[in-house]
Amino acid sequence: MKNNCLDIGLIQAFLDGETAHDETIRVSGHIAKCNACALMLAEAEDESAIVFPALEREFNTLVPTHRLWNKINESIATERDHAPFWQKAWAYLTLALASPSIAAAAGLILVVGVVSAIWMSRVPVSNDAAVNANPTKTSSPVENITTNAQLNPPTEFQITSVSQPLAAKFERAVYHADNRRGPAQSTSGKGQAASNSYASDEESYIKTISSLSRSANEQKDAVMRPSERVAFESDMAVVDDAISKMSKQIKQDPKNDSARRVLYTSYQNKIDLLNSVSQRQELMASVK
Amino acid sequence: MAALSTFVISQPAITERIAKANLSDLSGNDTSEKSIMVDGGVNVSMCVTEGNLKVNGWNRKEVRVLIKDGSKFNFKVLQKDPHIGNPVWITLTGLENTKGKDPKPTECVWGDVIEMDIPIGATINIKGHETTTTIDNVKKVSVKNIGGNISLRNIRNGINASTYEGDVTVEASAGEMTLESSTGNIIAFEAAPSEIGDIFKAKTNSGAISLQHLEYRQIEVNSISGSVVFNGTILSGGSYGFSTSNGSIRLSLPLASSFRISASYGFGTFSTELPIKIITEDVHPGPVKSINGSLGTGDATLRLTTNNGSVAIKKQ
Repeated sequence: MKNNCLDIGLIQAFLDGETAHDETIRVSGHIAKCNACALMLAEAEDESAIVFPALEREFNTLVPTHRLWNKINESIATERDHAPFWQKAWAYLTLALASPSIAAAAGLILVVGVVSAIWMSRVPVSNDAAVNANPTKTSSPVENITTNAQLNPPTEFQITSVSQPLAAKFERAVYHADNRRGPAQSTSGKGQAASNSYASDEESYIKTISSLSRSANEQKDAVMRPSERVAFESDMAVVDDAISKMSKQIKQDPKNDSARRVLYTSYQNKIDLLNSVSQRQELMASVK
Repeated sequence: MAALSTFVISQPAITERIAKANLSDLSGNDTSEKSIMVDGGVNVSMCVTEGNLKVNGWNRKEVRVLIKDGSKFNFKVLQKDPHIGNPVWITLTGLENTKGKDPKPTECVWGDVIEMDIPIGATINIKGHETTTTIDNVKKVSVKNIGGNISLRNIRNGINASTYEGDVTVEASAGEMTLESSTGNIIAFEAAPSEIGDIFKAKTNSGAISLQHLEYRQIEVNSISGSVVFNGTILSGGSYGFSTSNGSIRLSLPLASSFRISASYGFGTFSTELPIKIITEDVHPGPVKSINGSLGTGDATLRLTTNNGSVAIKKQ
């Protein structure tokens, strides 16, 4: 029987359940008749009993079978055939950049391109800056500047005795300044950080005002005479109106620093107004 | 100052000490007058519920108080100079008449007219209810009134004055200043710092602020519903903030001024007679417009904010 004995690899495959159906029947039939092969199978089982628990975690992970590998390879081949041109180009580029000399050359070209783009974008701004930096040369007319925001459209910055081209230059300078500021903030993330900071500042103001309002509402009737009360409510209305307008403006244009400055000043005014009620009560209590 | 000791003395002891300190009591029906020898830099604290208070600095180390048609009072020495023995901190206490008993001490005094003479190097702290206060020629003043005008002249080393209903007027004075009023105007004329870094602050809710010939490097002015007028110089490196919610801002500045200006205004106009270089401006539709510019080398910072009013800069 020795000549017909099974190969240890086949026995191991049988043990692992990797043999085909017919092969499994043949191996099991042979082992039933052959003591040597039965002994080899027993030894293989013993080894498996020792090795498998030690490698249980590794064995528990899904290992792709040969059939699965075939399917994966087929899918890759199909995908490669149907891949768009840019994907193929990217793959080629990635392979090409793996070479240090090609990567260095590409980096150099990129740097030159960025520097050129920056230089070209600054050229018109510097021209405007030159105009702005020296308005006094054109300035005898600029000495008396009047804007009337209420009556005029926004872009009609009324400059008395100023020629129209000069006014146009002023407007263009503002436009560039805003444009330059906008992308810089968005790309650096500073705009978002500042926005978060502003939001927390505003929240802090609102909380303070809310807590002060409660105590002020309880006290103001007791500490104020009617005339003072009228003045207090009038001032409060002015401040509330400013807060309302500025909040609306900031919602429309979150980058409007002037509106934000006025808003915070108005918040502070409201806090001072509310504080004045309790401070007045304290003073009245101490002066008796 | 660390060598000075604090004394809180019982009422009989005060009377005795004051008598030794050349006390004269000329009290009539409703009029009382007393005086006490003090240190030249004495600190005088008092509370006035009602009256017309006039404080004058004189060149004597003595405090004299006259209350006409009002409460009787005593001096209370809170602290003495341990070396010379003169009081360095005194307070006035009122005496409330009770039938058949000794007068009961109260914290505050009152009267139709309250006149005080204190050393020119003195500091005076006043709390008042309905008190018209006039102080002239002392070192330092702190006044906090619920109502009544405050008028201060020739104060050499700082003012802290606030009233809830009344005007605050300061003239020919120096030092750090904080002036506040709820429903009154604030007027300051010829004021300057006494030390480097002294700040001038003025705030009113329902009144105007008028500042003439101020020489401070830092000025903060704020009104809610009143106009702001400033006539003075913008000093190099200074910081100047003028804001109002509902009123105009008018500045009168020398042609040779040097500053960077940031003006925000809502419904109103911006005008200047000075050759300010406009750097940026934002006059888009909306409740707030802004202009940034500079004059000269731009050493100082000028911030102007009004929600509802015009901004005007005129040439002196």
